[in-house]
Amino acid sequence: MKRAHRKSHLLLWLVLGPVMFATIILAVLNRPAAPVNDALPDALIEEAN
Amino acid sequence: MSHDYKAVQWTPFKKRFDLWMLAGIILYLIGFIVVGEVTQPPGESIHPVQAVMRATGTLAFLLLTFILCIGPLARMTDRFKPFLYNRRHLGVTTFLIGLIHAALVMMWYHGFSETNPFVSLFISNPRYESLSGFPFEVLGFGALLIMFLMAATSHDFWNANLGPGVWKALHMGVYVAYALLIAHVALGAIQFEKSPAYVGLLVAGATSVFALHVGTGMMTLRGRDRPETDGWLKVANVTDMEDARAKIVRPAKGEAIAIFRDGDKVSAVSNVCRHQGGPLGEGRIVDGCITCPWHGFQYRMEDGQSPPPFTEKIATYATRIIDGVVYVNPEPNVPGTPQTPSQIGATS
Repeated sequence: MKRAHRKSHLLLWLVLGPVMFATIILAVLNRPAAPVNDALPDALIEEAN
Repeated sequence: MSHDYKAVQWTPFKKRFDLWMLAGIILYLIGFIVVGEVTQPPGESIHPVQAVMRATGTLAFLLLTFILCIGPLARMTDRFKPFLYNRRHLGVTTFLIGLIHAALVMMWYHGFSETNPFVSLFISNPRYESLSGFPFEVLGFGALLIMFLMAATSHDFWNANLGPGVWKALHMGVYVAYALLIAHVALGAIQFEKSPAYVGLLVAGATSVFALHVGTGMMTLRGRDRPETDGWLKVANVTDMEDARAKIVRPAKGEAIAIFRDGDKVSAVSNVCRHQGGPLGEGRIVDGCITCPWHGFQYRMEDGQSPPPFTEKIATYATRIIDGVVYVNPEPNVPGTPQTPSQIGATS
């Protein structure tokens, strides 16, 4: 790999890495206590109940 | 190499590798579905389509994680070189598995309404401000789109027409695709699945890829060799140079140099392959030619030219041996320039 590519490769990871870990941490912290499927409309869930 | 067009560049080794890969994929899919069915709590069984959806989704994630680890691992140990040679086939296969996962999702969750499934994908869940309810499928779609571009341009035809620099920059998009995939899983499966295994898998995957890429990147940047007083760089003692292998030196300016030993001869060439910028110094000498570890492009030691009928050329460098120590002049010759190898045992 060319020197310029190695540098941009490293820079890209130094940006993407923290973004990836921040997303994982936020996603785990905001996880609903009782897993639910938010994609389902409320009306459908009520009807099913 | 650059001689003629072949849709798939098979070799006996690649055929064997692809057969093993296919067997592994089938075993994983069957194993995942069977284990999932057996361990499912009573009354919570899932439809077979959903089981295949999950199996292909997890497999695509695992494969992409592994593919991204291959490069740095192959630089640390030769054991991963066979995977490096076949990374392209593995990448296209990963895209196809991701495509199956996406097609099932589109049919199962978006295919039964009157709205176009692709429109439904973007508008059925408009909670873009929510973390736990984020329309995570859109992130997966973005990752798949990038992987499609990469799979479609993975052939050497595109590398030759776009040029190695543009091609490499385009294919670095795989890192963005991986970040999108991480977000897709974190905001999707992690929100619904009760098993801590999914969180563990996600964290382990992201950590491995990040640590390996940043670690090897830092090592390369730190490893710049300083010139000797007369401008020549010290390479190594002759006795420390393995036959048919290279030592790599990194001058303060310019590209890295690969210094090869072939029997009692020592030659130096650019470490950058003309094909896709592969690290030639991590390859070896096969049939008298320096062979790139990435895709097998070959160059003659004495002039840096690919053997006929190929036309690729790389820069050569002058070498010398003094008191059993190999030195290289960091000033490159014009690519393809003949350079007499240094003779081990001869007086310089």
